[in-house]
Amino acid sequence: MLDFTFTEEQEMIRESVRDFAQKKIAPIALEMEKTKQIPEEIIKGMAELGLIAPTVSPEYGGQGFDAVTAGIIAEELAKADVTGSIPVFYLVQASWGHIFDKYGTEEAKKEILPNVTKGKWFLGIATTESDAGSDVVGTRTTIRKEGDHYVVNGEKMYISGVREAYTRGGGHITIAKQNPELGAKGMTLFYLPLQSKGIIPTYVDDLGREGISTGGFTIDNVVIPKHYIIGEENRGFYIVHEGYEYARGLISVICAGAGLQSLERGKKYLKERKAFGQPLAKFEALQFRLAEHYTKLSFLRLGAYWALWTYDQEAKGKATRFEVSKAIAMAKMFASEWSNAAIDEVMQWQGAFGYTRECPDQAAWRAIRSFAWAEGSKEIMRVIVSRELLGKEYISYK
Amino acid sequence: MNILVLVKQVPDTSDVKFDERGVMIREGVQSILNVFDQFAVEEALRLKQKYGGEVSVMTLAPEQAKTAVQKCLALGADKAYHISDRAFGGSDTLATSYALSLAIKKAGNFDLIMAGNQATDGDTGHIGPQVAEWLGIPHVSYVEQVVSIDNGKALVKSILEDGYRMVEVELPALLACLPPTNFEYTNPSMSGIIKAKSKPYIWWKADDIDGDKSKFGLNGSPTRVLKMYPPPKRSRGTVFTENYQDAVKKIVEALMEKKVIE
Amino acid sequence: MSDEYKGILVVGEIYDGKIRPVTFQLVTKARELADTLNTNLSVVLLGHNIGEMAKEPIYYGADKVYIMDDKIFEPYVAEVYSRALSKFINNLKPEIVLIPATHTGREYGPRIAAALQTGMTADCTDLVIKNGRFVQVRPAYGGNIMGEIITPNHRPQISTVRPNVFKTKEPDKNRTGEIIQVKPEFDSIKIRTLIKEIVKTTVTGAKKLDEAKIIVSGGRGVGSKEGFEKLKELADLLGGAVGASRVAVDLGWMPKSAQVGQSGITVQPDLYIACGISGTIQHIVGMKDSKVIVAINKDPNAPIFNIADYGIVGDLHEIIPMFIEEIKRIKKK
Repeated sequence: MLDFTFTEEQEMIRESVRDFAQKKIAPIALEMEKTKQIPEEIIKGMAELGLIAPTVSPEYGGQGFDAVTAGIIAEELAKADVTGSIPVFYLVQASWGHIFDKYGTEEAKKEILPNVTKGKWFLGIATTESDAGSDVVGTRTTIRKEGDHYVVNGEKMYISGVREAYTRGGGHITIAKQNPELGAKGMTLFYLPLQSKGIIPTYVDDLGREGISTGGFTIDNVVIPKHYIIGEENRGFYIVHEGYEYARGLISVICAGAGLQSLERGKKYLKERKAFGQPLAKFEALQFRLAEHYTKLSFLRLGAYWALWTYDQEAKGKATRFEVSKAIAMAKMFASEWSNAAIDEVMQWQGAFGYTRECPDQAAWRAIRSFAWAEGSKEIMRVIVSRELLGKEYISYK
Repeated sequence: MNILVLVKQVPDTSDVKFDERGVMIREGVQSILNVFDQFAVEEALRLKQKYGGEVSVMTLAPEQAKTAVQKCLALGADKAYHISDRAFGGSDTLATSYALSLAIKKAGNFDLIMAGNQATDGDTGHIGPQVAEWLGIPHVSYVEQVVSIDNGKALVKSILEDGYRMVEVELPALLACLPPTNFEYTNPSMSGIIKAKSKPYIWWKADDIDGDKSKFGLNGSPTRVLKMYPPPKRSRGTVFTENYQDAVKKIVEALMEKKVIE
Repeated sequence: MSDEYKGILVVGEIYDGKIRPVTFQLVTKARELADTLNTNLSVVLLGHNIGEMAKEPIYYGADKVYIMDDKIFEPYVAEVYSRALSKFINNLKPEIVLIPATHTGREYGPRIAAALQTGMTADCTDLVIKNGRFVQVRPAYGGNIMGEIITPNHRPQISTVRPNVFKTKEPDKNRTGEIIQVKPEFDSIKIRTLIKEIVKTTVTGAKKLDEAKIIVSGGRGVGSKEGFEKLKELADLLGGAVGASRVAVDLGWMPKSAQVGQSGITVQPDLYIACGISGTIQHIVGMKDSKVIVAINKDPNAPIFNIADYGIVGDLHEIIPMFIEEIKRIKKK
């Protein structure tokens, strides 16, 4: 029943991605914090390898990868890019590419997805608003039907990849209220091209993962065609959670990968650096901390792959929606915290150097910190798990 | 154009370490496709794109070398031959090239056989020329580029220590390939990896290739390894970390004393 | 094994109308081996209009020089050389054959071993007689390990040796030997290889690296193509040549012909000054036999310091000019 091995094919995928990422991404990772963008040749290289939204079906330029395989790629990118920029660029498009592929109209998929997988356009997700993050029902943006098209008004904030979609092309899967009186049951999901007339972007200055932009945009009477609706009208709330779950699973793997990689660097440092006449690695206090963090992150990694595997099981009819939600929430609950704790430890080992911007671990620390809230805060993960354990009637906010 | 590329899986020599007794420390050492061979595969695929035909790859190695062969398929090769048998254990280059030449004859008619000029582990560079000798076909070593194929002849650029030669060779021929200094190998794409799974992968044992079995493996190998040991170390000399002016003066003095400069 | 195999044969190479120095290096070494084994030493030269050159190997210790003089050998083509040499060796029956591990030697050499169905050991760094047995020492795994190879039951025992692994002795012009013309024999020869063009890319006037007594070599730390100018200035001052690490060649700062190391050339100068070269094992195998090594590197942990006789931890851009000044100062004296 238990088999923890990846398939031969998945091992090859890991090998190819690892080699590419270590060769091309790792050496330039810290530079992205200055240039504030992912180098074009990296995006091109990723597209050539088929690493952008590989979850999309082959007929739209993707690879048709399942969640576990998508996770393998995420892990290797996270190990190479300490700034977390490329992992974010990857995970957002992999998750929402999957949702677009699953729920989008044939016409929209043909029009948009090949441009995404080729690395030309960026596909993001825009649900968050200044006053509505985890509480998606608090969304104020509206969508209304007018003849054969729809009109959108509102404002989104703290959205990843705004500059990317605004300048390169592409857009964001966006949620808005179509029938506000129906709450969660009156929300619609649609594709919003950021180069549409009526979009004005703004940007925020993030603490980390600076190679990809974060920002927002106002939506002023933006007209979108009917075929941009994703899934049925008024079903947006449910579909968006599925996408978030996918993203949370990938984030959990990313946290594990980045943390383990940091420990790898730390391990080397402990062996090389001497204090009081012996290598730091000889001090038992440090050995124990290395052992503890390594153990925690290895369990996190296992849990994260198990959660993604559960997601894949649902597609085969072997797991329920609720089992998936719970597994994913369990994986993500401690992902950022544990990974950050390990990286923090590695920074501590390195003393003053660990506190400089030259140290890769500090960049990783800032990147991983974002995943404590991104795509569903660690508090929400606890809400989900307790809801699954106790039943809906005990949800505290209802 | 029917091209066959001979490939080998090697330990990544950049992280190979040996203990004091000369035994390889295998922990943490990755197995990779010999980069010379990968260049040959990529050059073969380029020729296929230009002239059509099929690219096959062949290895004579234990089963675990499959990952390296699979990589060639993922890069675009069409077919793989993997010859694996305990009978080949302990083969030196003569025995290996003999067995390979038999397998090549069995696999069919190839216009061009390509191979890495050498493998990064053994570094002998024997296999290509020796396979050509067994097959009785011409070969060119240090081939950095196949410029063109025309009229049953290949025009290739072969690197010399102080330049290069443009060589025209009649097909069938063997080309031992040397990646140019700026060569960056390609990583197999996701779709390539998926496609590789359904490509023909042919396993042969010693019994599947016709030939003189006494020439296989250790019995067929004229050379023997007497022993292995780590290279002798040069000891660390005097290292200066400050007072450069003074250090330079001292070093130049010492060099004159040793009469290496006058 | 058969006792009818006797003597040592060195395959000489004629290149650009001259006998390649590696030939004399092999002859010098083979002389030592022949004396130990109490046997004779022959050299075979293939080429066209060889003439007086044929005497030269004798000065370095050859007893006999066999000459195959035919226009078929010019320009060099692997299938012709391997065919002619296989036939010749099969007739001569030497117990040991040494072949230069040049690009050409590594091309025709292995074919000879296959044709004669005997053992061959590539790129030997030492050849010794131990208990009457011919032991071939060679590096493997990028120089991380050395192996001792023997060919117990097959003859001849063939080895290739890279240029500059062995040193030549002073030639003795009074030494005498026999020069024997041999008519090349071919069963049937249809030459299927044609040399269309030979292009030399080594900069003319630049000192040949493998012959230089002093080499100033640069790596990543040199920083740019222009950075090599200072190295050249120092090399010129010392009457030496400029070398480079693989990285510096990959970055296009120096031509491939300047590359020292595993994938470049092996050098053995009196003085090797490594500037901004960290000293990967692949580089070290190509220069570790230099008489004196001086290393300049910013990184105190650079492995190059472990093999250097003298090292300076610091910026080469600051230190090289100091060397230049110091040498100039001394020269004035």
